[in-house]
Amino acid sequence: MRLVKEFGTTWYNHGVASTESVYYTVHMLFGEYVRKKREALKATDRRFSVRQVAQRIGVEPAYLSKIERGDVAPPSEAKIRALANELGEDPDVLLALAGKVSSDLLEIIRKRPQLFAELIRELKTLPDHAILRVVREVRDGDW
Amino acid sequence: MIELINNALVFRFPEVHSEATCTIDFQRTLRIPDDNREYPLPPGLGRFPVEHVDDFADRLPESWRQHGGVMIPMYQSEAMWINFSGDYPCAVKIAAGKINAVSGNAWTNELGNNPQDYVVIPDQPWLDGFNVSEGHIRQFVAMPLGEGYTAEEQITGEAQHGGLQIIVYPMKPEAYEQYRSRKQMVVEDLCCYSLSMDMDMGLAPGGLMKQKIYEDEYGIDSWDQEHGSRCFVHIANSAVYEAIVGRRPPHEPPTAEKYTAAGLPWFDYYAETKALEGSSILGGLTSLAAKVIEKTGKPLHDNAPVDPKLVKQIHSKNTVREGEF
Repeated sequence: MRLVKEFGTTWYNHGVASTESVYYTVHMLFGEYVRKKREALKATDRRFSVRQVAQRIGVEPAYLSKIERGDVAPPSEAKIRALANELGEDPDVLLALAGKVSSDLLEIIRKRPQLFAELIRELKTLPDHAILRVVREVRDGDW
Repeated sequence: MIELINNALVFRFPEVHSEATCTIDFQRTLRIPDDNREYPLPPGLGRFPVEHVDDFADRLPESWRQHGGVMIPMYQSEAMWINFSGDYPCAVKIAAGKINAVSGNAWTNELGNNPQDYVVIPDQPWLDGFNVSEGHIRQFVAMPLGEGYTAEEQITGEAQHGGLQIIVYPMKPEAYEQYRSRKQMVVEDLCCYSLSMDMDMGLAPGGLMKQKIYEDEYGIDSWDQEHGSRCFVHIANSAVYEAIVGRRPPHEPPTAEKYTAAGLPWFDYYAETKALEGSSILGGLTSLAAKVIEKTGKPLHDNAPVDPKLVKQIHSKNTVREGEF
């Protein structure tokens, strides 16, 4: 195994103080992000109005508006995935902004909790400006 | 470091240069007739599947675990070619059963230039077999180890290693800068199968093919021999591969006769680079068809001569030689 740096993505540390403010920050961040992306798309394509996007992902337009304003908590994982698909975004990024972890990742951690908890904590100490990708090397032996 | 990505070995040398990467995959192909006629390049019919040996360690012979590396499945008498890709120049040594496929000498990790015992990529887009004479190779054809057909057994008298061995050295960064500026100028101008040896395959010399092994234009000092990566590629008999990994190997490729009769293309590659001389050791090998007659008194199956009518010319800007069947 080897860790390889892949540059290009930055993870921000929001440094929030309380549980309440954490939720508030998450709602706002997620809502704002979705609104900005949707409106950027709407500028060139009217199909990205709140009403039409809401329809396509299967929620009420009023609910999507509230999500974008940060008035309500982000929707379910399935709806976030649908939204990511609709807006051409990475579902893992949207899920992270919503304070959620993808269910497949949870399943991976549940299977080997100690190993992955340890691994993630190890990665935590590595530089912020890089995403670290775990690479499996082809093992060379004795020949 | 070597990664296995999409059935290809990806060699990276970030400690040498951020662009120092080369990819090697193993292409399924048809076996050209082994009748001493000279054939053009057969097509690539897709990559062989490649697996980490470590993933199936409990079902493999101890020697395979010891070697590490990867494995691919091949049917008896199936042919393959090795496909190189990447823009960063690298020197690649290839051996079959630890017999160097370019020089015919026994394996060493170091590069040799007297005679040259490696190929240079990207100048060399592929290698289809053993370098038997200038401008000609004898196709790599899988045969069970221990029956006397493989190049390894013919040269050493022993069936010890089988498989393929590869080591890659990237160009030194300073040589690369010179190479890049020179290139820029040119562009501007233009189940536990009993852990026995039965599953172990080696490569025998098959039919004769027109293919040059190109001379190293950059000189042996251009290669960074401090930073090589090597890999042992085991060849598992397809019949037991499914039992080991739980997945079927690809179906057998068509015969050269059926492929040609279907009007599908063969290929001819042209480049101006000087070719190496053939290896007298490899040139002295008995080809598979002759060996089969010698050992069994019968001709090799599916070995009828063919007359490829459709031969596509390819060159260094377009090295796609894919076929569909």
